[in-house]
Amino acid sequence: MTDDPPLVSCINVSKVYSLASNGRLSRRSDAPTVTALDSVSVEVQPGETIALSGPSGSGKSTLLHLIAGLETPTSGTVSFDGTDLASLSGRRRTRHRLNNVGIVFQHFHLLDALSARGNVALPLVERGIRKRERRERATEVLEAVGLGDRLTHTPDQLSGGEQQRVAIARALVTNPRLVIADEPTGELDTETGAQVLERFQAAAEETAIVLASHDPNTLAVADRVVSLRDGQRVAESGPDRDRHTIDPAGAHSGTPGEIDG
Amino acid sequence: MSIIGPFRRIPAIAGLAVAQLRYHRFRTLLAVVGIVLAMLTMTLLAGTGLGVLETGESQFESADRDLWVTSGPVALSAATGGFENTLYDAHVVSDEMNEIDGVRTAVPLGFQTVYISEDGEEFDTIVATGTTGTGSAVSISEGDGFSGGDTHYAGGEYDGPMTHEVLIDPQLADRYDLSVGDTVYMGGTTRSAEQNEFTVVGISGTFSQFLGTPTATLRLSELQTITGSSGVDSATFITITLEDDADPEAVQAELQAAYPEYEVRTNAEQLNAVLQHQSLVLAGAVTLVVLAFIAGLALTANLLAMVVYQQREALAAINAIGVSRATIIGLLAGHGLAIGILGGAIGAALTPPAARALNFVAAEITGFEGLVVVQTDVILAGVAIAIAMGTLSASVAAWRVSRLSAMESL
Repeated sequence: MTDDPPLVSCINVSKVYSLASNGRLSRRSDAPTVTALDSVSVEVQPGETIALSGPSGSGKSTLLHLIAGLETPTSGTVSFDGTDLASLSGRRRTRHRLNNVGIVFQHFHLLDALSARGNVALPLVERGIRKRERRERATEVLEAVGLGDRLTHTPDQLSGGEQQRVAIARALVTNPRLVIADEPTGELDTETGAQVLERFQAAAEETAIVLASHDPNTLAVADRVVSLRDGQRVAESGPDRDRHTIDPAGAHSGTPGEIDG
Repeated sequence: MSIIGPFRRIPAIAGLAVAQLRYHRFRTLLAVVGIVLAMLTMTLLAGTGLGVLETGESQFESADRDLWVTSGPVALSAATGGFENTLYDAHVVSDEMNEIDGVRTAVPLGFQTVYISEDGEEFDTIVATGTTGTGSAVSISEGDGFSGGDTHYAGGEYDGPMTHEVLIDPQLADRYDLSVGDTVYMGGTTRSAEQNEFTVVGISGTFSQFLGTPTATLRLSELQTITGSSGVDSATFITITLEDDADPEAVQAELQAAYPEYEVRTNAEQLNAVLQHQSLVLAGAVTLVVLAFIAGLALTANLLAMVVYQQREALAAINAIGVSRATIIGLLAGHGLAIGILGGAIGAALTPPAARALNFVAAEITGFEGLVVVQTDVILAGVAIAIAMGTLSASVAAWRVSRLSAMESL
């Protein structure tokens, strides 16, 4: 931790979902609820890499969505650079993500009809940037992740690792201040995952990163690892890689490599 | 972002839409085919409707009559093979009308299905037209036509000698290899036909062009006798040709006043009266047009909804990375618009040859040439509807996009 003002601040954040009988989200007030996050606080400093760890259903993805501004908390506050994201309209939160947040998904989520360069340039279209500039910028970022020779390939012509590097390039093409990555190596084998992470770190050198993962190798690149269980923050390990148990009831200890999942 | 930024997105979004359509070629092809078929159905049905109107108008005009007198509804009849014969005492009434100022000739016309045979053994059914004389309104290409007056009518007694003369149209002449002077057997029943031998006294296409089917023309009284309708002296119309200096509206009004139980109509009014009675057919045609539109809409909407469903995660993802819903909806609207324009263009290109093919079939079946009339306005309307189909379908897809949840999709 530093004394600098945090880039992202989550204070006592809770998220409760209403579920329909088919398991999908419901908007009905009388639907049964499930608490995905329960009073979690996390701060992210500029340029810092934080990993969220925990078993499936622990609330990692929910916390990532809240930090990214994809959703708003049921209670508590998520602030970006001092601005409460819940105070922004849906359109402004979309704009905020475009300008400040890059997102990398486990399943890549590339548009299959577009080339690697077309996918990477997509956020720049939204910014109204000229075609030539879009192509130059997308090419530059793709070269930075080692895909300078795959510019015109469509996703089905790329390997899983290459597709994830395209997704990383798409997340970085707008020079975001924060990158969110949900299981960025979850679809890749160990060796490919290591290569992707290496490229990711190099390309996002001065960018704050919050990533969620089960993979010890992925967690190892983080400055801090925040462990979640059943929607609660149960532990945090610092730069010295030692685990600091926050909630004894969580019964978690040891190195990140030993964390559940 | 500059002020022109949003406008700069439009060609980029259009490019994205085209890229996706090209990538998903088969799906695109299916949607375009759906729109083309819907558009062809609409333009050809509309063209048929217009063609029927134009053909009807030209047939009434070519009949060279000024007024038409009918009794009761003017309806097509399967039994008579033409119009229903609901006007009774046709000879008496037409004789009376001949006496009215401004009327040059008042001629009753009756249409009835009859059996015909060249050898008295094998019979076919055709439509026969009964009239009181040939005159200038019946053009004869070969032969001299009827030899004299209606001797059989005999002042309404139907006991005068039958002339047994018949005019046949060129199609019948070809079918039975008949020429002037040959004989045919005709009657309302096969038994009646066996006993009535008629001599061909001329070749005339006048009534076959009017009815759109091969026709034999007899004296009305003889047609009534061989079909057993002489008791009521029935006919379909009394057609009236006016003197050159007569005022059609004045004569029409005078006739209507003198015969309030009949309808006296001009050519255009008569055509409308016939068409109005075919409301079920017209309603069926309109229903087909509407169904074609809905089918095209459903097919395209279904396709675009599938596009959204299959790419819901990717669409939710690009919304998550900051691409606005407006851009995503624009992307889908681009799909719909492109499919609509493509379908409309192909439909427009295919309409004329399809109309020609339909006209060929229609001419073979009905005898009418050019029954399907393709007008530029109809094609343009079809293109507009095709584009509307694409756009409306895209709206359905856009509605689905607006309901995508990031939490559920990612």
